[in-house]
Amino acid sequence: MSLFLRKWMVALTGLFLCIFLVVHLSANCILLLPEAVARGMYNAYSTLLRESPLIKVVAYALYLSIILHVVFALLVTIRNRRAKPTPYAVNHHGENSQWAAQNMGLIGIFILVFIVVHLANFWARIKLGMGEGVGLDAQGYVDVYAVTSSLFHNPYYVAFYSLLMIPLGFHLHHGLKSSLKTLGFYHRSGLRVLARVSLFYALIMSVGFGVIPIIVYFK
Amino acid sequence: MRVRFRIWRQDNARVKGGFRDYEVDGLNEDMSLLEALDHLNEQLVLRDEKVVAFEYDCREGICGQCGVFVNGRAHGPHANMTTCQLHLRSFADGDTITIEPWRAAAFPVIKDLIVDRSAFDRIIRQGGYISAKTGTAPEANAIPVGKEVADRAMDAAACIGCGACVATCKNSSAALFTAAKINHLNTLPQGKPEQHRRVSDMVQQMEEEGFGHCSFTGACEVECPEGISVANIAEMNARYLKAKLFG
Amino acid sequence: MKKLNAKIPEGKLEEKWRNYQLRSKLINPANKKKLNVIVVGSGLSGAGAAATLAELGYDVQCFCYQDSARRAHSVAAQGGINAAKNYQHDGDSVWRMFYDTLKGGDFRSREANTYRLAELSAPLIDHFTQQGVPFAREYGGVLVNRSFGGVQVQRTFYARGQTGQQLLLAAYAQLYKMIRAEKVTMHTRTEMLDLVLVDGKARGIIARNLVTGEIQRYAADAVVLATGGYSRVFRLSTLAIGCNGSAIWKAHKRGALFAAPSFTQIHPTALPQSSEAQSKLTLMSESLRNDGRIWVPKRKDDPRRANDIPEDERDYYLERRYPSFGNLAPRDIASRAAKERIDAGHGVGRLKNAVYLDFRHAIERFGLDTIRDRYGNLFTMYRKITGVDAYREPMQISPAAHFSMGGLWVDYELMTTIPGLYAIGECNFSDHGANRLGANSLLQASVDGYFILPNTINNYLAAELGAEQITTDHPAFAEVEEEVRAHINRILNVNGHKTVDHFHRELGKVMWRECAMSRTRLGLERAIRQIESIREDFWSSVKVTGTGEELNPELEKALRLANFLELGLLMCTDALQREESCGAHFREEYQTEEGEALRVDEDYGYVSAWEYADGTFKLHREELHFEFVQPTVRSYK
Repeated sequence: MSLFLRKWMVALTGLFLCIFLVVHLSANCILLLPEAVARGMYNAYSTLLRESPLIKVVAYALYLSIILHVVFALLVTIRNRRAKPTPYAVNHHGENSQWAAQNMGLIGIFILVFIVVHLANFWARIKLGMGEGVGLDAQGYVDVYAVTSSLFHNPYYVAFYSLLMIPLGFHLHHGLKSSLKTLGFYHRSGLRVLARVSLFYALIMSVGFGVIPIIVYFK
Repeated sequence: MRVRFRIWRQDNARVKGGFRDYEVDGLNEDMSLLEALDHLNEQLVLRDEKVVAFEYDCREGICGQCGVFVNGRAHGPHANMTTCQLHLRSFADGDTITIEPWRAAAFPVIKDLIVDRSAFDRIIRQGGYISAKTGTAPEANAIPVGKEVADRAMDAAACIGCGACVATCKNSSAALFTAAKINHLNTLPQGKPEQHRRVSDMVQQMEEEGFGHCSFTGACEVECPEGISVANIAEMNARYLKAKLFG
Repeated sequence: MKKLNAKIPEGKLEEKWRNYQLRSKLINPANKKKLNVIVVGSGLSGAGAAATLAELGYDVQCFCYQDSARRAHSVAAQGGINAAKNYQHDGDSVWRMFYDTLKGGDFRSREANTYRLAELSAPLIDHFTQQGVPFAREYGGVLVNRSFGGVQVQRTFYARGQTGQQLLLAAYAQLYKMIRAEKVTMHTRTEMLDLVLVDGKARGIIARNLVTGEIQRYAADAVVLATGGYSRVFRLSTLAIGCNGSAIWKAHKRGALFAAPSFTQIHPTALPQSSEAQSKLTLMSESLRNDGRIWVPKRKDDPRRANDIPEDERDYYLERRYPSFGNLAPRDIASRAAKERIDAGHGVGRLKNAVYLDFRHAIERFGLDTIRDRYGNLFTMYRKITGVDAYREPMQISPAAHFSMGGLWVDYELMTTIPGLYAIGECNFSDHGANRLGANSLLQASVDGYFILPNTINNYLAAELGAEQITTDHPAFAEVEEEVRAHINRILNVNGHKTVDHFHRELGKVMWRECAMSRTRLGLERAIRQIESIREDFWSSVKVTGTGEELNPELEKALRLANFLELGLLMCTDALQREESCGAHFREEYQTEEGEALRVDEDYGYVSAWEYADGTFKLHREELHFEFVQPTVRSYK
């Protein structure tokens, strides 16, 4: 059971993270509203998230998912490497498969770096109180909006954020359809729909997450 | 026609191997790649050298014995083809053709371009059959099998066991091979009674042989001479889950 | 002179097999496991026999030269397998199938054997269906049939264009089931090089491990040869490159009689040779003749492309000569008719050595989808090999050496003239006479392996139970092993200047010219002289590099060719001896005014069985008695 379990863990945690991204993106969309409205809504929303016990559980599941996704992906990769100890001198795998599918691990590393930086900038500052303190807004909520807005006015950060949404798109495109197949979704015409859904989802996510900082920057 | 072969030479499993280059002349584009290698071997014999060991048998794309990595692709540059069906008209005069053995921990090199694929046999041994003794069968039409079901079983059963799926897979996964046999038998009513045991045992053997995981790159489907769909792997995963939950 | 006793059981045709089983000796299950059987070859007959013998309780060792038992050349049979199920309600029966097979073989096989083949065909389909062979089905779920050459009913079962592959995979799977049960030991990449006899009985083999080169001894209570056909003697054939006649040839030299060696089927629908370097002629299934129409241009050396030749300038010569069977005339007749047209200057293709097989009318009639459903993989294969799309222009096909009807002489029990040595499947001579009908080879291989041998071998082994246990320490093993080693060293030490393939090409040319579709006294005599000189040249100037103690493909080829060079002589000798035309054996001196085969029943109504005697061959005759049918002139007009 053990080996299959590893793939299932990668797939299940991945799918959970995919759902989380939808929620996350919808929150990011608030940033597109006029500043006066956006600040209030955004801060109220983030406070709600922080204080709801249900969301707390979900949040821990989220942290765990990220860790498990990485750990099991690592285990899977180690085994895969062992299974192919000698590489080919000439290998044109670009002719029979997509680049992203061949390089999920590499793409994953980029995303992991992004997550670490991202968490350091938001989560560590807001939740752990590390670094510069965060003020309160007019309603008395922690002014997360200010943190976000200032970061999104830093051109280096925006470039970093938006660029790394490209590998995220590739990762999601292959990851979504692949994880469902790993979990046993095999309906033939359903798989064709799944491929399109994955592409659509990945585009929405990477374009959505990637474009919002740029819009905020120029707002 | 003239080509330069870059061929992996390795005396046996215990020693290290390496590439050697051979210029071969006097070929024509209607020759198959394997016939060009035959031609090279005749020249090597006349030069008092050992011949290049490579595998083949039927030379009509059905036995599954031939199989080498040609210019960076399993069975050469075309999709859904065996090495023996590859002809020199797929190459240009003066081309360099690099030929490597299948690479996978579970397929150790025996000599030059020949690898040991007995891991496949051991996977079949663990349940790639229906346990009915000779002489015990009911009348063939007693159990109707709808055309769609029979066709689906046939699609999976078409696997010739060449190992291109493992060879081309970045993880050397044998998932397509294993799935094809499981789905062939588990789809048919005759295979149902032992379906859970079959999928559990065969998957376990596949893992013990040291093949990697399936990442659904889809390369295997492209290189498979019979074009067996990767959807079979997803189906196997479903069957495995079902076997573990209800088997 | 050896008395050939075919051991045909008493009774009516329908009762013979049952009568045989009623009287044969049985062995109790506890004793079966003490008995060891060697099966050489893992094709449909070998794997089927090994698996079934193991299921019965015998201790089995199975050998194949390939890397896996699944590669055996049974995989290549595309079209189907015959069975007298009469599912199509078209008047088929065991008797009709028996008669078709006997007639197809031009009355040169035994009634009793042929009847048994037809009788056991129906349960065989049951067996394979139960083993998971995905035979083609109707929408309602019942099995589909199609027609094949030489018959007017539809009795051929098929699994897309992969029937042989699917049947072999079933046999292979059953074999591996018994390997898992530890009742069969499988030796892959191991080639039998000689047979060991103790007190005149087959008691083991000497084999070479093809990876390490180690010469190994294996002892048993009985040896079963299931090594397939020997048409690679022509070099260019539809067979796998590794197919060889070594095992049966060695058995022949140790005393087993070789029956009808010259009866070789030339298949009418292979792909034509396109160059000297060609190693193989790919077969296109005969089932294509169901819907394809064969023609050549009426004009000699017509330079136009096939599609540019108008309908009234095409000669559908099979339909013209054989109106009732048309394109489904039996293989020997279709091949000879093609050769006649090609020799007359109507051949097509680059080397003018082919005829057209055209699907235009079938596509117009049934639609592209139906044709694709029936033959899709064959068309794909054709395109892969030739680069031509046969949905748009006709295929080019040509006759090629295919099946060996001849083989080791066996009696009704499938035992050779050496006690304890059996031959099953294509390597024996039993059921097909002078010509085999399409889709009967998978049938014969399977029936021999699954149903017949497991029910006859007990009759011999029952008496061996009390016999002295022979191990590989017996001096007979040492002696044969020494001969094998000396033979290998002799080949390695010639150290000449010509390759093995060179000699194989030379042999193939002679055999194809003089001992294939049509034969003459002068030609055969010439062939014998030429083969003898090729053989002498081989032993003085062949060059094999590498050693015997390693994986050495050149050595393997040389060892096989050394046997082919002797077998070729016997084939020509046999063809020379048979002064008549029958089935695939067509002697130009013996033909009707219309160019059809002229059989001479009164002088040649026997099976020739050859004894090897120090380099010469001595003829024995097994007279064929037809008690139940009257041999007639075979007509497909």
